[in-house]
Amino acid sequence: MAKKNEVTRRQFLNYTLTGVGGFMAAGMLMPMVRFAIDPVLKEGTEQEMVPVMDVSEITKEPQRKKFKVDQVDGWYESEVEQSAWVYKDEKDEIVALSPVCKHLGCTVDWSSNAAYPDQFYCPCHGGRYTKDGVNVPGTPPLAPLDVYKMKVEKGKLYLGKPEPR
Amino acid sequence: MKWIASDIETYAKEKEYVDTIVVPLIPFGLENNLKGTVSAGEYISIISHELERQLRGRLLLLPPFTYLNSEPMEEKVKRLAEWHNEVIGNGASYVVYLTSDVEWKNAEDRLEDTLVWLPSIPLEHMDNEYKMETVSTQVKQVLQIVTKKWQNSPK
Ligand code: FES
Repeated sequence: MAKKNEVTRRQFLNYTLTGVGGFMAAGMLMPMVRFAIDPVLKEGTEQEMVPVMDVSEITKEPQRKKFKVDQVDGWYESEVEQSAWVYKDEKDEIVALSPVCKHLGCTVDWSSNAAYPDQFYCPCHGGRYTKDGVNVPGTPPLAPLDVYKMKVEKGKLYLGKPEPR
Repeated sequence: MKWIASDIETYAKEKEYVDTIVVPLIPFGLENNLKGTVSAGEYISIISHELERQLRGRLLLLPPFTYLNSEPMEEKVKRLAEWHNEVIGNGASYVVYLTSDVEWKNAEDRLEDTLVWLPSIPLEHMDNEYKMETVSTQVKQVLQIVTKKWQNSPK
């Protein structure tokens, strides 16, 4: 009678082997499933928004704000510094522009060239943009500065990814 | 632009816009003051990458010029002159060397290019915020040296 509750040697092996086998199968399948649905998952998870400054600090004059984002580059992950030119336009709307010049990628500065006050100026090849980030024709850049995705929450400005217009 | 395949592709295409070469001068040696040698080199490499980020459209950051601490200065100057010839011969107009090795100060007048010497600041114990602050003030100075050179010949 005792036999009834005892696990026989065969049963034991059966259980464990299915267990291990199942485990192995899962191990093989999981990455496949992940590969298959990963893009979907990615789409769903919003690129992280980073708090950059208090909305009350934002002025009409563009200010350069630096912040850090995690970036996965190939096999190593690092913190990269990013920056944005942040200001309020005439309609009192917040604008956050990427400082990366659309010509060859130098960092543009606000009003740094005495000859062109109130413009973004690129020190590399004299590229210029008006305050709204639109490239001045006749200078090397062929597109307006990228605009950051943003949101305001509890009085703080959050920035996401810069996006071309 | 960096010494990586994707940047070099742009470089090859837009060469006329890229007239400045930046070379970090980094010493190496396993004997005394190992830590000092390493952190000075690390510092310069951080500065050069940040400089590259700000001015990437007009400059090409080369792999560092490395040398043994014990290498005689005449040798180094001679080797560096070959680098100079190589880049100038290929269309660059300006070459900037970045280093925190004082030895180069004594050889400055024998170099054909701009030498920027920066005292190395130990960053390892700083918190992140302060580190970024320090690096960016240093880089700003180098930036000014480079852009001043450009002002005379806007490209
Ligand atoms: S990189 Fe800005 S004008 Fe060329």
